Amino acid sequence: MTASDPCFLSVAEAAALIAAKRLSPVELTQAYLTRIERFDGTLHAYVRVLPDEALATARAAEAEIATGRYRGPLHGIPIGLKDIYDTAGLATEGGSKLCLGRVPTADATTTRLLKQAGAILLGKLTTWEFAIGGTAFDTPFPPARNPWNTDRDPAGSSSGSGAAVAAGLCAMAMGSDTGGSIRWPAAWCGLTGLKPTYGRVSRAGIMPLSFSLDHAGSLAWTVEDAAIVLQAIAGHDPLDPASADRAVPDYRAALASPDLKGVRLGIPRAMFERDCPASGAMGAAFKAAVGVLRGLGAAIAEIELPALALYNATASLITRSEGFAIHEKTLRERPQDYGGLARDRLTIGAYVRASDMVQAMRRRLMLAAATDAAMAGFDAILLPTCPDPAPMLGELGPYFDNRRPMYMRPFNLTGQPALSLCNGFDDTGLPLSLQIVGRHFDEATVLRIGHAYERATPWRERRPPL
Amino acid sequence: MADSIEDRFAVETELLGLKLLPGQEANLRAAYAVLREAVALVGADYPFEAEPAHVFAPAPGAERRR
Repeated sequence: MTASDPCFLSVAEAAALIAAKRLSPVELTQAYLTRIERFDGTLHAYVRVLPDEALATARAAEAEIATGRYRGPLHGIPIGLKDIYDTAGLATEGGSKLCLGRVPTADATTTRLLKQAGAILLGKLTTWEFAIGGTAFDTPFPPARNPWNTDRDPAGSSSGSGAAVAAGLCAMAMGSDTGGSIRWPAAWCGLTGLKPTYGRVSRAGIMPLSFSLDHAGSLAWTVEDAAIVLQAIAGHDPLDPASADRAVPDYRAALASPDLKGVRLGIPRAMFERDCPASGAMGAAFKAAVGVLRGLGAAIAEIELPALALYNATASLITRSEGFAIHEKTLRERPQDYGGLARDRLTIGAYVRASDMVQAMRRRLMLAAATDAAMAGFDAILLPTCPDPAPMLGELGPYFDNRRPMYMRPFNLTGQPALSLCNGFDDTGLPLSLQIVGRHFDEATVLRIGHAYERATPWRERRPPL
Repeated sequence: MADSIEDRFAVETELLGLKLLPGQEANLRAAYAVLREAVALVGADYPFEAEPAHVFAPAPGAERRR
C-alpha cells in the first residue's frame, strides 16, 4: 500500500473526495477488492467476499452522486460486516457449522441503516464462533490473522473486522462487544473501536451471546470515522427491547474543539497496576498518553473503582448463563457441531444456578452505581484497553481472561460508552491501546477526547507492513 | 452432598442431564472450578431488598425508554 492508495484513506477523507466527485466509488471498491484478492489468502479476514454485488452497488452510488443525490459521508464507502450481522438473502453463519447455509430474510437494523447511508458491502467478516469460540482451528473458517504480524492473534471476537480494517481491506467494519470484542481487536490491530452506550445502537438482527451485555459498534481507522458511523447507526429501534429512546447528537460537531480545556479525566490506577498489572510497553504508552492529554488541557486525577476481578466475575456469570440459555437446545442435540472452544465456553453456563444469576444481576447494579459514584466530577475514565499487546496465534488459553484479565468487561457490565484507540507501538511494532470510558449516552465527549489525542500524536501515520 | 469440587461437578453434570463428548469433561471440570470462584466472589450476602439489574435495565441517568 502506498500513500496514494485509496485504501489508505480514512472514511472521512474518502467521503470528502467522493462528495467532491474526485474519487469514484467504483474505483475505490475495485481497489479494495484487488487488495482483498492479494492479502486475504493470508489474513483470512473475510468469510465471504461480494465482488459483483459490491461493484453494482458502487456503480449505483456513483450514478446517484453524479445527479446530486449525495446521502452523506458513508455514501460510496466500502465496508465489511462481522458474520453475525444478518444480511437479507446473504448467508450469515456466525462462524459455525451449525449455521452453514443460514440465509436471513431481513437485514439487521444496523445493516439496513448502513445501506441507507449509502455504504457498500464488500463482504462478511470472520468471527469467533457465535462471538465466543476463541481463536479456533476446528470450525468451518480459518482464524483471522493480525496484519501487523501474521503470526500474531488479532483478538476477537470481531477478529476479521480488526484484521480487515487494519490491512486496508475495507474502510470500516462492524463488530459486537459482549466483553470487549470490539475494543480488543481494535487494540491489537491498531484501530479505533467504539462500544457505544448499552441501548444506543440496535442489536436487532445480530446473533446474540448475552442479552444483558451485547453491544454493536464499529472498528475504524480514526476516531472521526467512528463518529461518522455512529451517526448513521445510533437511535431508537423498537425491534431491540434494550434500545433507548434518546436524542442523537451531532457527533462530528463534537470533534471541533481544538483542545480539552475543561475536560476532567479520572484514572483508576489500581485496576491496571494492582489488579492486573499492564505490561511495560502498555504501561509506558499509557503514561505518555496521559501527558499528551494533560498538555491538551485536560484536568487529570486518580479515582478508585471496585476490583477488576469483581466486575469480571459478575460479567462472566451473566454471559455464561445467557449464552447457555441461547444455545441449550443445540448444545444438547448437536454438541459435536460446535468447535471445542465454543462448546465448552457455552456449556459451562449450564452450571450457573438461577440464584447465582440473580446475585450477579444484583452485583451488576451495585457495580454500576459504584462506577457512577466514582465518576462524580469527571467526564471520562482513562485506562489501558488491555494489559498486553497481541500474542502468537493460538496462544490464548481457553479461559484467557482469568490469567491476564482485560480492562474492558467492567464497561459492558455498566453499559457505559467505551472507546479504544492506538497509543503507540511496542519495540516489535505491535500496536498498544488506550481506553476512554464516558458517561452513559455521552459518546460525544469520548469521541472528542479521542479525536484530540489522535490529532496530537503520530500513530495514524503508520500502517501494517504487508 | 458432594464434598469436593470434582464431586460437585460430577453430581451437577448428572443432574443437568448433560452428555459430554470425549475430552470435554476435563475442560469443563477446570472451568467449573473457575465458575465456582466467580460465584463466591459475587457472593450471596445482599440486603434483603437489594434489587437485581434487569436484562434491559435503564442505565443510570437514562430518562426514558420504550
